[in-house]
Amino acid sequence: MNRPKAPLSILVVEDEFIIAMDIEMMIEDAGHQVLAVASSLQDVMALPTDKAPDVALVDMQLARGSTGLQVNSAIQKQWPDTIVVFVTANPKKIPDDFDGAHGVIAKPFSSAGFVAALKYLEEGVCDPPPVSPEPGSFVASPAFAAQWGVSPGER
Amino acid sequence: MDERDDWHLTEALHHEHGRGDPFAAAVRATRMPMIITNPSLPDNPIVFANDAFQRLTGYDRDELMGRNCRFLQGSQTDQDTIRRLREAVENGTDISVDILNYRKDGTSFWNALYLSPVRDDAGRIRFFFASQLDVTDRIDVQSRMAREKSRVEAEVTRRVAELRDSLDAQRLLLHEVDHRVKNNMTMIGSILRLQLREAADSDTADMLRAMMTRIDALATVHRHLYQSDDVTRFDIGSYAVNLASDLTQSRADCDIRIRADLGRAEVPAGQAAAIGLIVNEILAHMIRPENVAKGQVFDISSRTTPARVELSIGFGPPGQGDAEADPVYSPSGVNEQIISRLAAQTRTRVAWSRTDQGSIQVSVVIDKEIP
Repeated sequence: MNRPKAPLSILVVEDEFIIAMDIEMMIEDAGHQVLAVASSLQDVMALPTDKAPDVALVDMQLARGSTGLQVNSAIQKQWPDTIVVFVTANPKKIPDDFDGAHGVIAKPFSSAGFVAALKYLEEGVCDPPPVSPEPGSFVASPAFAAQWGVSPGER
Repeated sequence: MDERDDWHLTEALHHEHGRGDPFAAAVRATRMPMIITNPSLPDNPIVFANDAFQRLTGYDRDELMGRNCRFLQGSQTDQDTIRRLREAVENGTDISVDILNYRKDGTSFWNALYLSPVRDDAGRIRFFFASQLDVTDRIDVQSRMAREKSRVEAEVTRRVAELRDSLDAQRLLLHEVDHRVKNNMTMIGSILRLQLREAADSDTADMLRAMMTRIDALATVHRHLYQSDDVTRFDIGSYAVNLASDLTQSRADCDIRIRADLGRAEVPAGQAAAIGLIVNEILAHMIRPENVAKGQVFDISSRTTPARVELSIGFGPPGQGDAEADPVYSPSGVNEQIISRLAAQTRTRVAWSRTDQGSIQVSVVIDKEIP
């Protein structure tokens, strides 16, 4: 598998405009690129399919009655290599196996926490396993963590 | 004894009282219903029934003689009780049971029946003696109590279910409120960050950044509170480590490690925000650029004693022991004000010191509330 290289191309799925804007700016400050901002499942489905995001940051409660879980399955179907990370105030709504998604950043996040999570994610995506200690702001899915745990020799 | 003697006895009992046998006279005249049956006759029939028994059952003596007592039983009589009676007769033992019997007019009554065999010198059973007592009132009270008990139990079950429902509803509400609080805090953080980008000069930016750090700290408090199993308690040790790691990891310019030695250190949820802010001010002060050098270490430890919850934070070069500390170091300005006011509010003592190796030590001691 071809590992993505920094800067990462990131899809932001968030229905709260101000929060989306904030996330967008923090991503750019960290040196990555925002591929698109979507506020609903419908928005995600309408994106051009030729450019796959490296990472998708997905809120749980979205516009037009759609949910992050729906977006997660749509992304996995459309772009199987994209790393999906939920960004939610409702981490308890995520199933134990994350439905195949890769992790979660809990809201409310601090800027420091968000930036730390992004850095950790970058390490884990581009050059796994991550070298930084796991920040309190990010929780990897069991499968994603196991992937890092069993392949330390790849570094 | 032979059949003839039995007959004589029966005859004797049949006689009107006053025939010279005081015991027979007493049995006839007593208010307690009594009968005697003869197991050596076919089907163990009644051979004597006193007046009280006739009054109780409504049957005349003629109707009673020669019949087995089972005709007093009816549709509602408990089969198990009947079986126990039959076994007592077969085994020749005495028995005391409450049995539902029926009168001649069809009405029922609860009969406290005592049945015992009467043996001759050779130990052979000659008669069965049975005394009866109408205990309908007592049984009624008992069954009324049983009914009342099951009614109360049903009521309790219903109320418990109601309480559980209302608890579930409250939990749902709490969850919803929590969700909204978190969304709003995320929003506040985002607004401040967006504003920060507009800051014209570094003073404004510093002020906004300090404000944002405090909002972030409150958000972290809220997240810790709600993600723990017990929303009424707040562990300051794990919170401090979380906050410290957030602060250090966001800084690319330094390489700060965190060493944690955490014991249980819980404070009530009502104090969480205030104490959470105190810890934030301490950490923010420690990690100011003029204090930070390469390879420094945060030492965070926490514990609970019977009277106090203690958090201790050290920041400085690694590898030092318990060096003598010089109690002079402390922050000033808003930083200091927030710490001292919130400390007074939460019965917390914050003591700063600086070791001669240049490390900053802070001890945070919270007196437990005396219940």
